[in-house]
Amino acid sequence: MAETILVVDDDLDILELLRMNLEPDGYEVRTASDGKQAVEAATLDPPDLILLDVMMPHKDGFQVIEELKNIEETKTVPVILLTARGQTEDKVQGLDAGADDYITKPFDLREVTARVKAVLGRTRPIKYMNPLMRAMGSGFNEAGVQQLAGHLQAAAAIQKKLLPEQAPSFQGFDVGILLQSSMSVSGDFYDFIPLSETRVGIVLGDVKGNGIPAALLMVMIRTALRLLCREADDPASILKRINDLVVRDTDATLFATMIYGVMDTVTSTFTYSNGGHCYPLHRKRTGVIDVLKTGSMLVGAFEEATFASNTCLLAPGDIVVFYTDGITETNAGDDSVGNENSLVGSEDVKGQQNATSSDVFYGQDRLAACISENAILSASALCEAIVEDLARFSGSTQTHDDRALVVIKRNT
Amino acid sequence: MNFDTTIGEKNISILHIEGKILGNAADVFRREMEQQLQAAQGKLVVDLMNVPLIDSSALGAIVLTLKYCQESGGKLVLLNPQKAVREVLEVTQLATVIEIYDTEESASAALI
Repeated sequence: MAETILVVDDDLDILELLRMNLEPDGYEVRTASDGKQAVEAATLDPPDLILLDVMMPHKDGFQVIEELKNIEETKTVPVILLTARGQTEDKVQGLDAGADDYITKPFDLREVTARVKAVLGRTRPIKYMNPLMRAMGSGFNEAGVQQLAGHLQAAAAIQKKLLPEQAPSFQGFDVGILLQSSMSVSGDFYDFIPLSETRVGIVLGDVKGNGIPAALLMVMIRTALRLLCREADDPASILKRINDLVVRDTDATLFATMIYGVMDTVTSTFTYSNGGHCYPLHRKRTGVIDVLKTGSMLVGAFEEATFASNTCLLAPGDIVVFYTDGITETNAGDDSVGNENSLVGSEDVKGQQNATSSDVFYGQDRLAACISENAILSASALCEAIVEDLARFSGSTQTHDDRALVVIKRNT
Repeated sequence: MNFDTTIGEKNISILHIEGKILGNAADVFRREMEQQLQAAQGKLVVDLMNVPLIDSSALGAIVLTLKYCQESGGKLVLLNPQKAVREVLEVTQLATVIEIYDTEESASAALI
């Protein structure tokens, strides 16, 4: 999810310049051209950061900060002031008023980028605690923030420990895994649960929502799954029980998409149920790619949801790939647009001027092609090949969303 | 994301969304749907023809609004989602709990 920056300046050229500089870095930029507009825009929909000019008609930057610090929704939004050269008093007054940093005009665009990144890096962990901060009310102070930041790190560490770092090995199969997190607590998860000598439970999922609540939901689902998978055999009935548990115990903003299945190494079958998650890809040794389309409702949203199971047979050399939408929804970089057969920019989106190059997703078909091209590789090398292909496609090794991959390959 | 509302046949409100529904826009989207449902006797068509894509926040907004409808006895239907959006609705199977129509007439008729 893109971070939003509100840029406030009465000079429209500067607004445009900053927008052109910040948007390519993946930020969503909104603008306001005076102090009054700035307060209204920030209150209506609090941004992640405000770049604020000091000298403006009607209401100057200091007054804007003062007002924002007195409004519950905006008091934690970080502010970088744009001040004129030599106005040291402005800078001091600005920091006193609660600005987080300042940039001197005329500015170097690289400095703007660096400072924006630094301030967001400092304040991002705090942002994800905002719901907690509201709950704690006015008794909240800096020591409390520090303490919570510590807890957040501990939570992230616990969460990481819950995810297996290495792919398990099971008889006759080669398994590869990969997880890339876009923030300290991740929404993507996977797990392998030994059920017997010859059967392994495999789960891959994506918890929707942000920050600590989503991380707690992931831990809850993982724990429930570990307990339930020993009580029942049918993946569909297990997902149904997890669904009912999550519906009962959380509010409607929290839900997950997930696949749970059992790999039987004797019969080489995988029996799975898919709760609203991206369809896994089954590449047969013959080169045919089967999209495993047996799907059910996303998990944890509706009490009345029902779930279905299906089984697929893995012949020697067959590969099954599970992935999260962070993979297929990777955006094309500017460079790669046009030199590949664009999947989205076809007749399906005619009449949509706003479907720009950045709307072109990596997509399931590119993923399938990448799997086929690299089918000869080991499971973990195939994971790496997919990540490299994503980097080529997006022009960046960074990821805006979590990515998880599980590759299972039957030995020949 | 931008939106505006028109009144179609038989006084049915149609909320037209334009642009991607991502991140914080999803919250605005949810509030707008809820307000329109309140204002229009619990009946609303959401026109997604000009929405190229949505993220999980937008899915959350739809889930919440469906729940709101369940509780308040209202009804929400979707009009003309495009390929990428339709795929997300199908994979998550939200398409099985929300009615989707291709024309304004059929969407409005479903609410009468």
